[in-house]
Parts: sequence; structure tokens; C-alpha cells
Amino acid sequence: MTSTIETPTERPTATAASAPGVRLRRTVRSSEFTLVAIAVIGFVALTLTTDGNMLSSGTLAAFFRFLAVPMIIGLAQMVVLAIGQMNLSVGVLTGFCAMVAAWAMLEAGLPAPLAVPGAMLLGAAVGLGNGLLVVFTRINAFIVTLATMTIIDGLRYGVNGPGTYQDYSAGLQELGQASLLGFPVVFLLACVVAAGVWFFFARTVPGRHLLASGGSPFAARLSGVSNDRSILLAHTLSGLLAGVAAVLTLAQSGSVNASIGDDLLLPSFAAPIIGGVALAGGVVSVLGTCLAAFIVRLVDVTQAQFAINRRWVDLIVGAVVLGVVLSGAIRQKLSRRSS
Amino acid sequence: MKQDDNPSPPEAARQAARLPLWANPRIGLVVLLIALIALFTTLRPAFLNTQLTLVPMQSDISVYAVVGLSQLAVLSLGHMNMAVGRMAAMSAFAAGLLHDRLDAPLIVCLLGGLATGALLGALAGLIIARTGVNSFVVTLALDFALIGLVSLLYATFTDGVAFGGLPAGMSALRTDTFADYCAGDVCGPEIPLLAPIALVAALGVGLLFRWSRIGREVLMTGANAKAALLSGIPVNLRVVQAHALSGLLAGLAGFLLSANNGSFSAGVGDGFLLPSFLAPVLGGTLLVGGAVSVLGTVLGTGITQVIYKGLNLLQFQVDELKLYIGLVLLAALSLDRLRHVLAERRGVPA
Repeated sequence: MTSTIETPTERPTATAASAPGVRLRRTVRSSEFTLVAIAVIGFVALTLTTDGNMLSSGTLAAFFRFLAVPMIIGLAQMVVLAIGQMNLSVGVLTGFCAMVAAWAMLEAGLPAPLAVPGAMLLGAAVGLGNGLLVVFTRINAFIVTLATMTIIDGLRYGVNGPGTYQDYSAGLQELGQASLLGFPVVFLLACVVAAGVWFFFARTVPGRHLLASGGSPFAARLSGVSNDRSILLAHTLSGLLAGVAAVLTLAQSGSVNASIGDDLLLPSFAAPIIGGVALAGGVVSVLGTCLAAFIVRLVDVTQAQFAINRRWVDLIVGAVVLGVVLSGAIRQKLSRRSS
Repeated sequence: MKQDDNPSPPEAARQAARLPLWANPRIGLVVLLIALIALFTTLRPAFLNTQLTLVPMQSDISVYAVVGLSQLAVLSLGHMNMAVGRMAAMSAFAAGLLHDRLDAPLIVCLLGGLATGALLGALAGLIIARTGVNSFVVTLALDFALIGLVSLLYATFTDGVAFGGLPAGMSALRTDTFADYCAGDVCGPEIPLLAPIALVAALGVGLLFRWSRIGREVLMTGANAKAALLSGIPVNLRVVQAHALSGLLAGLAGFLLSANNGSFSAGVGDGFLLPSFLAPVLGGTLLVGGAVSVLGTVLGTGITQVIYKGLNLLQFQVDELKLYIGLVLLAALSLDRLRHVLAERRGVPA
């Protein structure tokens, strides 16, 4: 599921050689395959060491329910990384959208079916604002979103101060706890969104244009692609996904306050980076990002199952990211030497 | 003190002299700083109260100027250090441990802390130089790992999240100003003891980037790594050195903040990341590398701290404070962009 702009040129050489063998080798070598292997081995190991406690319906449901938001927030970062930029405001934007939606339902009396799309629209609008600032000022997106992160942080706190919103919508919270075919509905929704993002990058013209802008802005411009439009689109989409993450947060946790989103910024980078998304732009991997979120969640659950100090999780996730980065660099060096 | 990647300082100076006054960003920062101080003083005369405002503000500026310089050290390469806060925390831990276990004096604690920071920075630089992986990713991962490590170390070596004792002389750094030290009838000015430490750091970094061979070569590496390599500059070594300097300064900032807080605790460095970028960027240092502005960084720190203190005195809430800091940053950057465009139109290199 890696969408690269180079894929079309690679394909002919693959079919020219002995097709099945080459394809198999390529599959085994791909970073997604490594991630799948790590995820499966980790999951099985965790199941065995906890005497099958992992497979009890309660644990399994909780595992997937709290996987939904990290997946979406990783994708929100990924779409901006696709054009070689960053969005530091994803975490606080998620919190801000959640707070505004909760305020709309509780204090403005808006019904949930209106507040939910409202939160998503708000996210997209703020994302568009980020994109406009980047396009018009030509300031580095890192700095622009650093500034907007600070502003949104203030706004998020301004919605309700230190207070907590709860009991905003019985229907939404029911949805957060509901299951379909043994999987939590929020997780399935996150999967649908992820599939949508994959489709966007793999099959639609704006998605391909976006990747082209990320891969080489100069070449993209010469090919008639508007880089500015790609930047606006990527930031808007990132904001929209942060809005989706806000809705999922509202559904799965019964209450929200101004600290929502504080712990999302670093994981938002960890998931795409472990998943093999290049910071330079031009490459995205929806499957890799989701698998990486899955692996980080495995580490989380291990900590809970064995009552390990919460801090080991950060240490291990940091070590995993470093390890992935190093192994990627080594693999690249080896493949360059062999060819 | 803005350095372009010109070969010789005199040439750069001549070029700077040709710039019209309004195109010099540092002048704008000074004007903004004075305007802000005047504004807050008219609104709240207590803003110029020495004990209440000015002395604590100078301490804060000292700490955060060093934090900004720590980021500036790698911005010179076009790199980032996302782990400034945690490098500071590890340094503070090392200093605290040296005092707690070995009963080391203040200066040994400081040196131990600085060495820890420099080693962590060098480690990050080494990984970046050897693998060629983006500095953002490497230092972000390092930050993740250190967040965990710092808490675990404090949990293992102390009963909670902070060391109990402080080395002798550390509390003087926190509470005393030069006014407390008198020679006969002549007493020093109301400047906290932390300020000269930060000043030395700023001068050191400024001299390094302007006059030393290492500093110039780091800037050239930042401007164009390939050209630097072809000119015989040991690019990888310079990358490691710049990151080590960043770690060293982060360690110094951690030590200064610990002195300011009155304890070596796990929370040191938590709020370093945002100010570390704010100060150099407000001061005109670009993220692309090749040029740094030490004076601008110090002025940028001054402006942010004046805004914080002023809004605090005006009893603004935390949320509004953040909002205004963000807006000021955006406005300053947009104005800077406008200035750049105008200067370009007049054919002046800004």
C-alpha cells in the first residue's frame, strides 16, 4: 500500500524478470512486510505470555478501541509529510475540535448529528488556515504550525477553562462503546477513513498531484501541477483528519477537557516514521502508518498487562523509532552496495 | 551579529553597512522591545518594579536565551534538536546525582551536567552524520527515549521526582543579585547572578560563529553541505560538533533553570521546546541553515519574556497568554517576510 510516484516505472522491470520470484522477494523486503511480521510476532508473544488474556473479548475490544485515534492522528501527520512539510498543530487541533463540539452539544444545544460534521469542518477550516499561511507568507510550515499550535492551544483552553464536559450525547457515547462483528465501531470507522486516505493517494488525481509536489516541487510545476494547491489540500486534509480524531475521542471517552490532544504530537510523528514515510515528501504508506500505530499500541498494552512503569513505554517507543531509522539506513546502504 | 555565508567578516560588514536601516531586523526587534516595555509600564507601573518584575524577568531571560542558543547551534546546520528539553533534564539529573551521591561541589556538578548534555548532543550528531537520517527524526526519537529514561532514573535514585539537596552556593544563584555584594559602600546593580553566565554563553556562541574556524565551517556546512565537503571541510565532524554544542547549551539551560527553581527535578526542560524555536526564529535565524543571529536570539527571548511578564501582570489567563504569543510570532514573521520582499524589490540583499 505504499504509494510512491516511482511505482509506475518500477513495474515493467518486475514483470520482465521472473515475475513470481521477484515479486515475492520484493514483498518480503518491503518495510510493510517487516512491520506485519513484528506486529504478528508481538501480538502472539503477548497472547502467550499473558495466558491468552489478550484474546478475552474485553481486552481485545479495548485494544482496538484505543487504536482508532492514534491511527487517524498518524494519518493526519502523514498527509502533510507527503508534501515534505510538518503539522505541529494536529494534537491541539484534535483537542480544540473535541472541546468545541462538546460545547456545541452541551451549551449551544446542537444535536450530535450536526456537531459531528461541525467538528470535522472546523478541523478542515483550521487546516486550510495553516495552508493559506504557508502559501502566502512562504514561511516554513514547521514555524507556521508552531505558531498556530500555540494559538490553538490558547483557544482550546478558552472554550471551557480547566472544566470538563461530559454527558454531551448519549448516542455518540453509545456508538463509542458499540461493537460490530467483535470489533469496536470506532476502530472500524478509523479503518474506513484509512481506506479513504489510501484511495485518495493511490487512485485520485489530486492525491497523485500531491505526491508529485512532495517528490519534486520543481518537476511537479513543470508538469503543470500547482504546488500551492497541493500545500492547501494537504493541510486541509490534515486538519480534517484531526477533526475526525476529535469525533472518535468524543465517542470513546465519556468526557473531554482542555488536555485532550497533549499527548498526541509525538505519536503523530512516530507512526508515519516507523511506517516508512519519508520526511522529505513524495512517499506515503497508509498501511505502514496504521501498522506502526498497532505496534505502539502493543507496547502500551504490554505495559498495562504487566503493570510496568508507564515510562518504559516512551523509552521503548523511542528506541523502536531509532532502531527503525537505523535499520532503514543500513538496508539502503546494503542494497546500494549489492546493485 | 547576523552572519551570512560570506568568506570574510569585513566583507560581510561592508555589505551590512549598505543595508538601509529599516531593513535591519535587529533594529526592528529593539524598537519592538522598547515599545512593549513602554506599553506595559503605562498600563501597569509595577512593570518596572525591580524586586517584583525586573529581577525575576532577567533570570527567566537568562535561562531561555541559553535555551534559544541551544537550538540556534543546530539551526546553523539547518538541523533541529527536538530533544533540547530532555537533554537539559538529563544534565540536571547528572548534576543532582553528583551532588547527592558524591557530595560534589557546585562547579563539579555544573561541569558534570554540561558533559552529559554535550555527550547526548554528540550522540545525536553521530547518528545523524553516520546514517544521514533527518535530524528531526533522530532527535525526536531520542526525546522519546529520554522522556522515559529521565523519569525512570529519578524514580530509581530519588524518592520522587526531585533530588532533596542542593550544592552549596546554588541557592545564592537563585536569590541573590549583585546588589547583595558590596565592596565598602559600592554595591552592584540589581542583576541576578544567573545573567552573566548566560551572557558569557551568548558571547561565546557569537564569537564561535563569527571568528572561529569551526564556527565558520559549521555555517558553510549548513549553507551547502556538498560544497563544504568538496572544499575539504570535515562535514561529519562539524555536524557532531554542532550537535554537541547544542547539547552542552541545553545542559547549561537545565542547570540555570534548576538554580532558578531551587531543585534538580524531572520536570526541568518540559517547556523548553517552544521557546527554543521562538527565540531564534523571532531573531531572524532561518531554519534552512547557513546563517545565525545570536543577538537576534537574545532579543527574541527578551521580547517573549516581556510579553509573558506583561500579560501576567495585566492578569491575563494562561490561554490568552498563549494566544497572544502565537499571534505575535505570526505577525513578526509576516512582517519579516514583507521586509524581505520590499528589500528584494529595491535590489538590496536582505
